[in-house]
Amino acid sequence: MKPLPDDRSLEHPIILVAVIAGALGSIVLLNAVAWLAFPLVLAVVLYYLVQPLLHRLQLSGVTPNQALGIFLAAATVLTVIAGLTILPAMLNSLSEFQNQLPEYWGRLQLVMRDNLLSLENRFAFAKKAGLAAGLQAQLDHFIAGSGKEYIADVAIFLLHWLPSLLLVPFLTFFFLRDGTAFHRLVLRAVPNAFFEKTLILFNRMDNQMRAYFRGMFGLTMLDTVSLGLGLWFLGHGPGIFGFWDAMVLGLICAIFAWVPYIGSALGGLLAVATVAVKAPQEGGLILAVVILFLGVRLLDEFVYTPMTVGRALRMHPLITVMMIFSGGMLGGVYGLLLAMPLLGIFTVLGQMFGEIWFDPRLRARYQARGILEKRLASKDLEL
Amino acid sequence: MRLGRLLYLMNLLELFRPPPLDPMLKVVSGVSIFKECSRAELEALKLHLHERHFLAGEIVFDEGEEGEGMYVVIRGKLQASRKGLLKKKTLGVIKPGECFGEMALLGAGPRMATVVAEEATTVLAMFRPELLSLAEARPRLGFKIAMGVALVLEARLRRLADGEAEEPSAT
Repeated sequence: MKPLPDDRSLEHPIILVAVIAGALGSIVLLNAVAWLAFPLVLAVVLYYLVQPLLHRLQLSGVTPNQALGIFLAAATVLTVIAGLTILPAMLNSLSEFQNQLPEYWGRLQLVMRDNLLSLENRFAFAKKAGLAAGLQAQLDHFIAGSGKEYIADVAIFLLHWLPSLLLVPFLTFFFLRDGTAFHRLVLRAVPNAFFEKTLILFNRMDNQMRAYFRGMFGLTMLDTVSLGLGLWFLGHGPGIFGFWDAMVLGLICAIFAWVPYIGSALGGLLAVATVAVKAPQEGGLILAVVILFLGVRLLDEFVYTPMTVGRALRMHPLITVMMIFSGGMLGGVYGLLLAMPLLGIFTVLGQMFGEIWFDPRLRARYQARGILEKRLASKDLEL
Repeated sequence: MRLGRLLYLMNLLELFRPPPLDPMLKVVSGVSIFKECSRAELEALKLHLHERHFLAGEIVFDEGEEGEGMYVVIRGKLQASRKGLLKKKTLGVIKPGECFGEMALLGAGPRMATVVAEEATTVLAMFRPELLSLAEARPRLGFKIAMGVALVLEARLRRLADGEAEEPSAT
């Protein structure tokens, strides 16, 4: 994807404000209809990921509908095979994890308490605050109250979201099948004067979204492999991580990294906490995991991101961080994850609007059409 | 033998006859760029054609404007002109079944003339990025259209070399 030239930045302050307001407003709106918005966003992402596959199939000589049929059949077969093979293994791992959970929980408490106690020994203010005792009281309260309540909450959460997730393949199918017709329908509403420019900008937006989602997918895969291999290399000796455990943890951390700045730190904390819980006595290993995360962060910044997502979204870091926090405040985890993609979409829309609306010639042509329409309508009225 | 007779009878009953071609596609099939396209290819092309209606006196595009679309006239009449030193120079009239702006299919660049509708006009617009994605999905169709554009340009170059006047569709 070609990055946008500098002259297409959001130079008009009103547009910049409108872009930020639009992105934040969308987070609130999407959060209010999250049940529908979540599968819709996932379907759009899947649409952009699947489209190149369909193109490749079409290159081999099949029609678009045949390509969609072949893809659907292959996806169904793969889902059934995965369901029959991976699902039992996953359930097995989950039940194993459930059995080991009390032990991990105990170790985590121990690690946290030990660290807080050593902090209290070093600093008087920490001792005065009674950090270790306070944390223990909080944890005891959590364990006493949570158990059954949380299980019920999780069950209700799953029941609530499962039908919504089932919508994803359904929506993706119709996006893939009727995307072009829908595109034409939207463009029909554009006035003649703005039509060609809108088509050009529409195409640019489509390319940017495709590049963004495909880039994010590639970036997630690269991060997963780098972190997974690194964690496995560090942890398989002391028996902390198996290959797949390390890969799953790498994937979770890579998904966390979708949230700029904060996500990577959270992912690093998660990996460090996992190592601390599994092997509290291995202080050197914890340090090695921290170094691994810093290394992958640097790789991410200087190699992976330019390779995949690029730097199409030219936003000031301050605006980016403020957007993430505002998104989190307005839409929780959902807002954190959607803040940047929505900001990207609204930035392109703002650029489109700026280029079309602030072009005096196009506006003059639009107004001339209005005059022609009026003249035609009042032709026989002898005004 | 029996099967042949059955097919003949079915044919008589028009069971195998395809429905008539969309009137707009009929016009498109007559345009030299799309002459080699089969019916199925024209149907595929239809998904990427945008129907636009212009009032008499309305500008389709301006000379010098960035353009990526080609237009086929379905109904009405348009006039192509170019800025001259003192006054604008009229290149000619574009009628139904003719196309204009096809240079934009080869590469984005400034329009070489201004095109204005002389009367109420209906055109079908085809956009370069959409054509490229269509050509990617259906390389045979893409090749036919590319060859069609090349042939139109070749004919135009020949005429120019022979000293004939510029064509209005050279926009």
